Amino acid sequence: MQLENLGLYYWAIAPEIIVSVVAVIIMMVDAFSARGARKLNAGIALVGLVATLISVIMLERLGTGSYFSGMVVIDPIRIFFSVTILLAAIVATLMASQFLKDEGLPPGEFFSLLLFATAGMLLLAAAGDLVTVFLGLEIASITSYVLAGYRRYDLRSNESSLKYFLLGSFSTAFLLYGMALTYGATGSTNIQKITSAIASGQVTYPALLLVGAGMMMVGFGFKIASAPFHLWTPDVYEGAPTIVTGFMGAGPKAAVFAAFLRVFAVGFGPQDSPIGVQLHSGWVTSLAVIAALTMTIGNVIALSQKNIKRLLAYSSIAHAGYALVGFLTGDFAPVAFYMLAYSLMTLGAFAVIQLLARAGDQRTEIAEYAGIGFEVPALSFPLAIFLLSLAGIPPTAGFMSKFYIFRSAWDMNPELRWLVLVAVINSIISVYYYLYPIVIMFFRPLVPGFIKPRIAGLTMVALILTVLGTFYLGILPNGLMNAMTKPVAVVSQITGR
Amino acid sequence: MKLITIVTFLPLLGAVALFLHGVFWASRGTSGEKLDEQYRWITIFFTVLTFVVSLLILPGFDSSIAAPQMVEKHDWITSFGVQYFVGIDGISIWLVLLTTFLMPLSVIASWHVTKRVREYMIFMLVLETGMLGVFVSFDMFLFYLFFEITLIPMYFLIGVWGGERRIYAAIKFFIYTVVGSLLMLIAIIAIYLYNGGMSFDIVEITNNIATGRTVIPGGVKFWLWMAFALAFFIKVPLWPLHTWLPDAHVEAPTAGSIILAGVLLKMGTYGLMRFNLPFFPDISREMAPWVMAFAVIGIIYGALVAMVQPDMKKLVAYSSVSHLGFVVLGIFAFTETAMQGALYQMLNHGISTGALFMCVGMIYERRHTRQIEDFGGVATPMPNFSTMFMIISLSSLGLPLLNGFIGEFLILIGTFSSDVPYAKMFAVLGATGVILSAVYLLWMLQRVMFGRVTRRENAELEDITLREKFGLIPLVAMAIIMGVIPMMFLRSTEKSVNSVREIVVGKLERVAVTIQKD
Repeated sequence: MQLENLGLYYWAIAPEIIVSVVAVIIMMVDAFSARGARKLNAGIALVGLVATLISVIMLERLGTGSYFSGMVVIDPIRIFFSVTILLAAIVATLMASQFLKDEGLPPGEFFSLLLFATAGMLLLAAAGDLVTVFLGLEIASITSYVLAGYRRYDLRSNESSLKYFLLGSFSTAFLLYGMALTYGATGSTNIQKITSAIASGQVTYPALLLVGAGMMMVGFGFKIASAPFHLWTPDVYEGAPTIVTGFMGAGPKAAVFAAFLRVFAVGFGPQDSPIGVQLHSGWVTSLAVIAALTMTIGNVIALSQKNIKRLLAYSSIAHAGYALVGFLTGDFAPVAFYMLAYSLMTLGAFAVIQLLARAGDQRTEIAEYAGIGFEVPALSFPLAIFLLSLAGIPPTAGFMSKFYIFRSAWDMNPELRWLVLVAVINSIISVYYYLYPIVIMFFRPLVPGFIKPRIAGLTMVALILTVLGTFYLGILPNGLMNAMTKPVAVVSQITGR
Repeated sequence: MKLITIVTFLPLLGAVALFLHGVFWASRGTSGEKLDEQYRWITIFFTVLTFVVSLLILPGFDSSIAAPQMVEKHDWITSFGVQYFVGIDGISIWLVLLTTFLMPLSVIASWHVTKRVREYMIFMLVLETGMLGVFVSFDMFLFYLFFEITLIPMYFLIGVWGGERRIYAAIKFFIYTVVGSLLMLIAIIAIYLYNGGMSFDIVEITNNIATGRTVIPGGVKFWLWMAFALAFFIKVPLWPLHTWLPDAHVEAPTAGSIILAGVLLKMGTYGLMRFNLPFFPDISREMAPWVMAFAVIGIIYGALVAMVQPDMKKLVAYSSVSHLGFVVLGIFAFTETAMQGALYQMLNHGISTGALFMCVGMIYERRHTRQIEDFGGVATPMPNFSTMFMIISLSSLGLPLLNGFIGEFLILIGTFSSDVPYAKMFAVLGATGVILSAVYLLWMLQRVMFGRVTRRENAELEDITLREKFGLIPLVAMAIIMGVIPMMFLRSTEKSVNSVREIVVGKLERVAVTIQKD
């Protein structure tokens, strides 16, 4: 067998290669430089991430298709989710510099872990095979566990890391078992081959496939923090260093959504064969219920939160629910747009929280924000914008992405209109708790003892980027939406060119 | 870029200018008070400029056309078919002018604000752009966007610069409105999809529905009507959805109350005319008696509650509930007279109630109380002020030769001749609202203005100042002008109002009405 027939086409995994190489370079630089080459490391990470972003955009030129025997695919899902992941990583890097300095934490490991996590997520978004899904997920998860416990002298951070690790491993086991069962039923781990096996009805044990799909749904459900698999989220989010929390809420979630989409919406899409029909209607119905539960539980519990990080943790659960509504349309574009918008606003919000909390995450109670609105407008107004965007008030990204989801869901699947109504009612509920920090910040008198946080240059850049991004997606989403909805010539080649 | 766009976004430009001005001069060490003064003048400059530019709409406006004029259309979000589509028609032209007219006056009324002047003025200007955008949008998506955008500055105006219970009032205002508007969003999406999912163009959808090209299934239609109606009824506010209004009014700063009553509430009645009637003519006809019943209850209830208010601002707030009941009554009577009257009453209410809030604000600044019992014989120390307060109150209660009379008279006559079931009864009941409004306004005037000065603090009150005159006199003048030459306004609204009416009740009945008139 000639190598070319395997589709060993390294340009197809250029982004993953670049990120990994840069991560290794950072480790080397850190090893050979004097202690605290923080700025150098951050600089290298940034350059590497931007180069990766460019390489992702260049991927489009290669054309859609599968490479490496179908292990990796290039399609719009990969490209758009990779952009989201990289933007999240870039913003996290921009903010990390000040965070590491304030906390006195070693910079080298942080940036290389961040980049390895990014590599894992990119691979997850690129996966065309269940094995690659697993590989990407594990790379991303294990680095995230370490990042969550990065403030290693802090008990909360340790607790967060351990919980994340235990529940993450637990869910990975579900996922892996599901994959094994699916393999047993269809005889392949390649998603395209699985799809064609289902389409032609060549499934050895239909029940096995259904159970396998169910287990994978549980596994993915854990990773995106959908109810009833969400219980780990608030504790992990609260304990992890704020910047890591922001990154975890944006990057890994987007990456898992990409894989989730590719396995379910694409792989288990509607088929004519009896097993295909059964499988599709089965997962659509259960996911609809999960989406409704996720939104409602996330929003209702968020109402009573007093800690801003926990509030955003529950809000992230709720937002996973909204994104799942888009999932059910079977179209990737609303979900991709939603995840991009959500990543920007949530990262921006965590950036502000990180600055307000100061070293050691001391101030994360919302009550401690009293009256700071006009004291630090450079932080309070962006936070207000992010919160209003999360609540879905125009002209922000949050509104546009919700609109996109609701519109697609209402249009494409009349049986799911009840879900849109549930989502709208949930949006109304969510307005109340998103307003709460704004009320505290702007309408209450200042509490004595407030010290204005220092805002470093790079952090400011991160804030400006996220604010501009929030408005850009809310006011001028045209270019991006057209790029997403542009019909692509789907090339179903297993071997590359 | 055409005139309408310029008018809409000039205030936003002003907000940007204020922001940059502050950033630049504060870094150069200009003192806070001096800067505050500059912020006020910059805001005045931009609001007056917007008003002057908006006056240019008048000469170019053709009263013989019902369709939107001076339109500007650009593709915006092509994958949804969203357009930037602005224009102006008979229904919106005077509302736009009312907005640009009230803004400079409310800025004058907020001259005494010393807390965070720059942010205050920025919110005011953003609010103006939002309100203008609502009235000029002919794309549902754009309309929704502006409709929501107005919420945020108002929320901050109440929450930061409001009175004692401002937080409660601000949140209540926000939540009530958001509930309505999110339901409306679903209805907008649904209508858009029934129309083919390619356009949010209000004119196109109206035509498609009128000609039967777009059919909304019967079962859904009612709920979509309901979703739109709830959003607008909350905004109007129609009884029993009015409870946010007194709280918001009482806690809002004076300028906030003026704009809230003057413009924001009109967004509700405007929406009814723009969406509910043309999109769902049959449901609107079916529901008309119910809506009218609620409107009449609102008229009487608002008036009765206003009568017993010890607080002047609350009294004016409840009078708003009553007066806007008239507007809704007129809209759902479906006769030309009543609908024209309703539109006219929207403007009247903006002028009169805006002025009343301004007057209450002036008294409050002097005495820091709004309780009626704290006053008495104010006319002695403040003769000029009292005269104007008097004129405005009389205009609000509908004295002939003042604006309120024209609106209420047209609505009641039009409702009486309406074909809607029970319309005559509703007209008669509504007419009691006119009497009641005379009772509560005159009674308040009597207790506040006339008689001997009962309290020593009131004896030395300063009469209206020059700055306050600049704020109040234009409103008083408008009240008189609109009461004497109403045709100047009604002529330009006639065509558009009639076209809406024709969609609802059909052309045939229009002929019948004309014959009846002869």
